[in-house]
Amino acid sequence: MVEEEKKRKNIVKDVSFRVVKATLKAILIYLIYFLLAPMLAPLFGLIPGFMESIEAFVIIYIVLTILGDITERTIFQYFFSTARSLFVIAYLLLSMEDGIISTSYENFSLTVNLTLFYTVAITLSLLGFASSILQAINFMSERAEATSGLQPPQQA
Amino acid sequence: MKKPLLTILKEGTAMNVPIRALGLATSIFWILLIAFIALSAYSFKDLNFDLGEPQFTTAPDGQLLFSLPLYIDNRGYCSLKEFHLMTVFSDAEGAEISRANTFVPVIPRGENVTIFHNVTLSMDSVLENAEQYLFNDNNLTASVTAGLTLAELLPAQISTNFTFPWGAPFYNFALGQPSFGRFNSTHSAVSVPMSFENHAAFDLVGDIRVELFDSGGSLLGESQTALNVPQYSSYDGNLEFHVPLNTASFSAARNGHFNVYFSTPLFEYGPLVIPYG
Repeated sequence: MVEEEKKRKNIVKDVSFRVVKATLKAILIYLIYFLLAPMLAPLFGLIPGFMESIEAFVIIYIVLTILGDITERTIFQYFFSTARSLFVIAYLLLSMEDGIISTSYENFSLTVNLTLFYTVAITLSLLGFASSILQAINFMSERAEATSGLQPPQQA
Repeated sequence: MKKPLLTILKEGTAMNVPIRALGLATSIFWILLIAFIALSAYSFKDLNFDLGEPQFTTAPDGQLLFSLPLYIDNRGYCSLKEFHLMTVFSDAEGAEISRANTFVPVIPRGENVTIFHNVTLSMDSVLENAEQYLFNDNNLTASVTAGLTLAELLPAQISTNFTFPWGAPFYNFALGQPSFGRFNSTHSAVSVPMSFENHAAFDLVGDIRVELFDSGGSLLGESQTALNVPQYSSYDGNLEFHVPLNTASFSAARNGHFNVYFSTPLFEYGPLVIPYG
């Protein structure tokens, strides 16, 4: 009875800790966006709808991060982590196309070549995706080890 | 002691470390990348461009020099590299008249730089496309492309098209009816009023030579006058011809045509045929 009570308390404590951690992480990400947005505004403000699209990106990214943190130490954590990486890749591919941003204002036409940024961002996203997959494989293998009767060798 | 056939590595010793290292490295690179982009965008905000008053001068080789001062105040965090400005002038039909490039390798941060973008316009190439530029005001199309590399790594380019008013140096050029008067016993003096407005952005210095022909196509006389007409001013004058005095030529000279030749350091043009009578 006492054992069960203790176990339940631990679960509540664990879930609360995850929620607090996820909230803090979300606040931190939003704070970074909040600080960087005015800096990016002069350049990205020239492209209609770009700031709105970044805002939508940040919201979805934060939601996936929160879900990933809440479902920590379950396989769903890796689902959300992989989904987040895929979402970043998809967003970059759809929003930047060939990495060259062109916009027109009155008689002026502005072209910014972000190919380098785009290449690095896509590479980092792929690394993030690979990391999520590896984490999921690792999690599953650890799970399999735990359920099998095989025990790790004791260190001398 | 016998080792088990299937040994399992202790949790978190083999896989977790490289995965975590990969995740950490990715996060660090993401932070660096976002910081770099934010810094570049912020630098772009503190970049000021200003255009000065364009100036027209005549180059020693007889070409028209269009000079546009450009002021760049780089108050951003990064130097600007490979700043280039290209101007292409074309006529109303789209034929290229002139092309000019200005290149500045580096504009250091915190510095105010003045660049003179010089475009040479050859009047010969202008007249090659259409002689109307001598006598009618028109619009030239200027395509301007400016490019630079922001924060060493991000190339950016801005381009625009605008019409550039072209003022004709001999706008509304006209020769009036010749008036005949007696000069001496063998020749009569023929006076022809000449007028035009110099709408060009440069002073007009040169000569005008006019040949007077009768209705039969015979040359009756020739007159040459020197010009010095400042920009945006008009000219009114008279050309004097001395025509041999005989009845036949006098009656034939009631109508005919003028051949006009223009000669300035910038261009040579002629003959312009103007009928009279």
